[in-house]
Amino acid sequence: MQEQEKYFNELVKQYSEPLYWHVRAMVGSHEDTDDLLQEIFIKVWNALDRFRGDSDVFTWLWRIATNETLSFLRKARVRAALSFSALDAQAERISDPDPYFDGDAAMRSLRKALLKLPDKQRLVFTMRYYEDLPYETISEITGTSVGALKASYHIAYEKVKQHLLESD
Amino acid sequence: MKKQLPYSTPSGYFDSLPSRLTEIPSRRSRFNLVPYLALAVSFALLVMLGNFILTKSTASQPASDEEIIEYLIDSGMTLAQLEDAVIIND
Repeated sequence: MQEQEKYFNELVKQYSEPLYWHVRAMVGSHEDTDDLLQEIFIKVWNALDRFRGDSDVFTWLWRIATNETLSFLRKARVRAALSFSALDAQAERISDPDPYFDGDAAMRSLRKALLKLPDKQRLVFTMRYYEDLPYETISEITGTSVGALKASYHIAYEKVKQHLLESD
Repeated sequence: MKKQLPYSTPSGYFDSLPSRLTEIPSRRSRFNLVPYLALAVSFALLVMLGNFILTKSTASQPASDEEIIEYLIDSGMTLAQLEDAVIIND
């Protein structure tokens, strides 16, 4: 048990910050990311004794984080639909009043473009563009084929580019 | 496009984050009895509720012999077993 706790603490030390940015890129808001990070590490702790090292620890952690984040976004979408608020309006709400957003106008526009992407496209885009992950690793994390990921990334990239051109 | 996420965090956030996350194992072991207790309480409540309903329904309407026989037949008891039971009781 103590060994497990020691290993858990090592994971926290090594991966909490990159995981924060992985989730934040998807979710946008700092508060939501902070809550999600707690949930993710609770899941990690609960599953640690079942982790046999079949996949490497990075892939395993990112898979847990990605699933939790997609589930969070799905629930947020349902809540928004039930409260009859348009998703675009929600993206605006997330984008504008965040006190922990420090970009200029171009960055703000990029952020809006990212938040408008469908969840899975945003996921592929952020993992590829910001985290520089190879398609093979993204494929292991998401369980999606490399071909489908390349197509998703291309579509997402074009949408972001289009949004930035229109907002100029 | 610059490869930099357009976000920041509250100052000192990453200094306090690891200590908050490393509390998880001790928090989980402290509270891991809660689901079992909840299950036990739910089970006890169900038993009490079932007992209450059963007592109430049997107390208000005692079943007639015909109803009892009907019930026994419906429950799969054969006529021979039923007759045996009647003879023994007689």
